[in-house]
This record gives sequence, C-alpha cells and structure tokens, in this order.
Amino acid sequence: MEKKMETELGKSKILLQKMLIKKVNYLKKILITSFLILPINNSSAEFFRDLSNIIEFNETRLSYGVSVTDINMDGNFEFIVTGFGYPNLALTYIDGKLKNIAQDEIFIDQFRKTIGVAACDIDKDGYEEIYFLNTDTYSGTKKYSDRLIDKKDDYYFDLFEIEKNKESLNLTAGRSVVCVDRKGTGEYGIYVANYGGPTRFYEFENFKIIDKAGYLNLRNVTGGRAVVSGHILTDRADIFAANERGANFLLKNNNGNFEDVAFDYRVDDVIQNGRGTALSDIYYRGRLDILSGNWLGYHRAYVLENNKFKDIGNKDFDKPSKIRTIISADFDNDGFDEVFMNNIAEPNKLFKITEKGKFEEIKLKTALETEGFGTGAAVADIDNDGILELLVSRGESKAQSLTLYKANVEKQSKFLRIKPINKFGAPARGATVTLISNKRKHSKTIDAGSGYLCQMEPVAHYGIRKNEKNFKVEVKWTNGKIDFIDKIKLNQTITINQK
Amino acid sequence: MKKILIKCLLLVVLFQIEVVAEEKNYHKELITDWSRIFPDKNRNAAGPKFFKYIIDKENTYKDFIEYNKLFCAVSGSLIDPDSDSEFLFVKESKSNSKICGNYYRCCVPCSCDVMKYSEVQKMKYKFTDGLKEFYVITIKNPCNKTDFPNRVNKNYFCNGKKINSNQVYNLDNRIVIGLLHNGRLCKKDDINLVKSHQITGQYCELRNNTPLEKLDAGMGDIFIKLAR
Repeated sequence: MEKKMETELGKSKILLQKMLIKKVNYLKKILITSFLILPINNSSAEFFRDLSNIIEFNETRLSYGVSVTDINMDGNFEFIVTGFGYPNLALTYIDGKLKNIAQDEIFIDQFRKTIGVAACDIDKDGYEEIYFLNTDTYSGTKKYSDRLIDKKDDYYFDLFEIEKNKESLNLTAGRSVVCVDRKGTGEYGIYVANYGGPTRFYEFENFKIIDKAGYLNLRNVTGGRAVVSGHILTDRADIFAANERGANFLLKNNNGNFEDVAFDYRVDDVIQNGRGTALSDIYYRGRLDILSGNWLGYHRAYVLENNKFKDIGNKDFDKPSKIRTIISADFDNDGFDEVFMNNIAEPNKLFKITEKGKFEEIKLKTALETEGFGTGAAVADIDNDGILELLVSRGESKAQSLTLYKANVEKQSKFLRIKPINKFGAPARGATVTLISNKRKHSKTIDAGSGYLCQMEPVAHYGIRKNEKNFKVEVKWTNGKIDFIDKIKLNQTITINQK
Repeated sequence: MKKILIKCLLLVVLFQIEVVAEEKNYHKELITDWSRIFPDKNRNAAGPKFFKYIIDKENTYKDFIEYNKLFCAVSGSLIDPDSDSEFLFVKESKSNSKICGNYYRCCVPCSCDVMKYSEVQKMKYKFTDGLKEFYVITIKNPCNKTDFPNRVNKNYFCNGKKINSNQVYNLDNRIVIGLLHNGRLCKKDDINLVKSHQITGQYCELRNNTPLEKLDAGMGDIFIKLAR
C-alpha cells in the first residue's frame, strides 16, 4: 500500500515536473517572441557627453544665434555666438579649449542686441562676411541697424557703416538670416527674415550693398522667424521661410527670381507659428526635405511626394513644444541622422531618423537642459576629430552660460566629411552633397543658415553604417552642376573645389 | 495553462500593434488643411465650411465624430483636442421637440447662440463603415438677408439667393453648421439640468436677453445676424 502510494506520489511528482518544464518552455517562448516583437530600444548608454568645461571664461550671458565660419582664415572653423547686450564671441579650438578670439570692437559690439547670424562670401573674395542681425524691439521699426562684418588684413569693419551703404540699412526688427546664391554664380545674397516689416534681400553690386527684395518679389511683411536655403525644389537655391502669424513661404527659384509656392506644396501651415527649420534627407533617398518646428504647435517633417509635401512626423516627433533651433546631423557617426530639438525652458529632445523615415526618440539625460533657456545651437567638428560638437546658446529671459556636447561614439565608428569650396574659394553654402553607397543615397546641404537664428558648419558630415561600402560622392553646386568624387578613403575631410 | 499563455501572447502582440500603428491626429489634419478650408483666411461664423470639409472626406463614423469635436459651429474657431463639451438642448425643426446632446464650443456664448438661433435635424449618411443617423445643427438659408453680416464671407454660404452646396452642406434648404453629439430626445431631467446649469441656464438667459448691439462676447452679433 505504502509502495503504491510512493509510486503514485512519484508519478505526481514527475507529472508536476513535466508541467513545470512545459510552463517554463511556454514562458521561454513568450519571452523570446515578446523580445522579437518589442521595438528595438535605443542603446541605454548616454548619447551625449558634456564638454562645456572646455569653454574658457564661460560666463552667464544672453546669447542667441550661432554660426560656424572661419573668421581668421586659418583653415579651422570658429563658433560665432551672438550676444544680446553682451559681446559677440568667436570661439576657436586651441589646446583642448574653446577660446574666444574676438577682439575688435565692431565685431564684439557689446551694446547692440544681436540675435541672428549667418556668414557667406558676398563680395567674391573667398572670405565669408558675417551678417549680424540686431533687434532692439520685438516687431516693426528698430533703433540700431544690423552689421555686415568684413575683414581686410587684420582689420574688421562694418559694410553698413560705409556712407554709400547707409541708405540700405535694415531698421526693422528681425530674426534669422540665410545666405542665398540665387544666380548660382557664387555671389551670395542675404535674406533677412524681418518681423513686422518688409523682408530684405541684400546683395553686393558695384561695391555697394543693395536691397533687392522688391525687385525679387520678396518684399513681404510677416512675422519672419526661421529660414533655410538650398536645393529644395530646383537645381538652384530655393528658400523656405517659417513665419509666425502668417503663412510660411516656399520660394521657388526661377532663374534667380522667386515665386512663393508654399500653398501649392502644402507647407504654408498658416495657423501655426514657425520657429526652427532645417533641411534633411528624411528618407535617405538623395533629396533634401524640410523639418519645421512650430512654437507650441505640431512640428513638421515634410517629405516631397507627387509635387506636394507630406508631413510624416509621428506623434512623438510632432508633439508641440517651445521649440527654437532644430538641427539634423549625424552626431554619433552611425550613418543615420539625428534631429536635435532645442526647446526653451523645456527639455530638449533628440530623435534618430531610421531607414524608412521613422523618428525614434533617444531619451536624453545629458543635453536635456530641463531648465535651460535655449536660444540657438550649431554643429561643427570644431576639434577636427571626426565627431560633431553641438554648441547650445542660452539666454532670453535668464542669463545662462553656453553648453557644449559631443556624442559617445563606438570606437570602430568611421566618418567622411565633404567640404565643397566654390570657385571664389569660399564655402559653397547652399550646395548639396550626396553620399551614395550600397546602403543609401544620402543628401546633405552645405548649410546656408538654419535652425532658428543659426548656421551650421559648411561641411557635409557623414557617419558610416555597418557593412557599408562602394562609396561615391556627388556634389551639386549652387548652379546645379554636378561633380563626383570616386576614390574615397574614410575618416577624412575631403575638400572639393568647384571648377 | 496553454490558453492563458496564448492570451498573454495575443495581448503582447496587440499592444505592439497599437504601439506601431500611428493614431490619426484629427486636430493636426484640420490645422494642416486650414488654408484649404478657408482660402481667404476668413473663418467668421464659418463652422459650415468645417462641416462640409469633414463630410466630404472618406471617413469612418468614428472619424466623423472626432473631427466634429474640434471646431465651433458658431464661430468657426478650432477647438483644442480633449476640450469639454456643453450639455444643452436645441429645437428640432420638424417636431419642435427639444433634442439634448453635447456641443463642442470655443467659448460659452456660442452655446447660448446655438440654443437660441439654430435648430437640429436628423441626417443620414453613408460612411466607409456603414450608414449612420445623427442630429446636425442647422440654420435657415441666410442668402436672402438684406443685413447679411459683412464680416462673413457670403460666397462661402450663398450662390445668389440659394445655398452654395459646393461650399456648405445643404439639408432641406438649411445650412448644416455642425454636429450635435449624442443627440436624443430630451427627458424632463435633461431639460432641468440644462436650465439649472450655470452656463446654459443663468448665463444664456442673460445673454439671450441682451440687445444685439450690446453683445460683445463670443462672435458678438456676427453669427446671430447670420442665423436669426
């Protein structure tokens, strides 16, 4: 009887064990299946590291727009940081530090309130003049005009202070500026997005600064905020201007003249308030599309389909925020662009644009800046190590210091940087570089002005994807002509000169 | 046990599908198309333009309901998503009965105006997921008015003395301005509730007894002049 009972108990044990094994197997299957189905989460490692400590004398101040140009023509870029009642800075990388090398009174211009900045060669001498947009009032007529800084030998001067140019002074409050090579000749003009007064478009003609906005059908009055220029619709420099209290402009270049086609292309977004904008190849298909951040409105990721722009921003991306600058760049050199959204008094955001134009949020800790009053930001490989640095300027309602970030990249990561130089020896801002490989056809603009009040380095920076090969680079110049670079070695900056 | 585990797995899959599928953002769509709905940028009292735009889309009934929560039929303003509605009643054209339901408005005076100056009618419509019946808010044909409000774009509403059916929805020679959500014949308690409510009761009584020239809240007298 006892034996029988033991046997029965033994059977039950075995049965129980079998059931447990089965259960474990099922659980295992569920876990594996769930793992396969769950979206691939981005690396839990922190995306950025904070390098702000390398900025020398990084005092609290009211900063706004940031541009990247080579002000001393030494072959290295400087971050030009505007000051609102504070000095304009030119931060260069020396001995592991970001040092301010701006000394000239006219450049520093401490008592004017500078917010927008862009640099380009307007007089065909190969040196990028710097347009500083000053604003001492929110809208309409302002007291102090803008500056257009040029350099002769070691001497900086303001082209607007020359008597013959004074009739063209911009005395309207404004925000962003962008460089536009509308004729494709390398003679840059400057589009000034004014607020509550007519838009300006300055060109250097017969040694004189002339406002050609009226002549070019650009003399519109709106709440100008952000502006970009590049190959958006045509093989010439088109312009997208994100406005406040009015429709956006999409200015199609027609032989150097402009026609506003924002309504037809469905980017007018008339009841939202534009703020930051950038050009980005969202589908990695070899064309530039538009990112447009709206102040407390839906952020847009416009991709061109059948002669209309379609907004493909998902609900994480389009979520309204107090946005300022928006930047598209490959920070971590993985071959996919990120989109950095700089918000004011609200946490910043970062998205990775994956293969099919999907925006996946990367949760930030570093560079989150929950209490940061972000007013502008720009990217450049300021230390020439093949990884982009992100400089964030802050201020407006609270004086704050600058911050500097760099992505944590994988050790084996590779990069390729393309630096197109136009026939006058100046950065070919507005040109489009396309990297073609077995994995992608990826276009980037040579930044002519973007984000909000800002301008990025004039280099197309590519991280390289895993197993990527057969590289070829196409450069579409501002006149629409195309050059190719075939024999490509990675981990370098290739300078290509326009013939 | 097997059944439970399969159910768990299904739940996981469904959850993931929900995560992957993008929800429709009705508010964003209306914002995107605003300049197409109002090409001249005048949306004064132009709720009917919204209604026509929505009904002309390929919608499910759910889409139709959700879109109609996002504009004010009286003012033509967009309404923030997740805004509350007002429970009120409106007279039905045919029966003179009071029909109760929810009205999504931009501001409180619009609730009063809709109660006093509009009527509701039953409407049937075939959506992509089938035929549905619901109550719509209507106003009479304003095209014969000599005092047609000059701040309203008459071309939106009228083609001569007729309703412009290309621009607005014409139901039995009345213009549909919006949807009365959850419309049904009022019960006695419903009417008491509406009449005793701070807005639909006290405030509306005050507003609806104020001379037209003294109205400055909401759309002021624009909608009233159009609808009375």
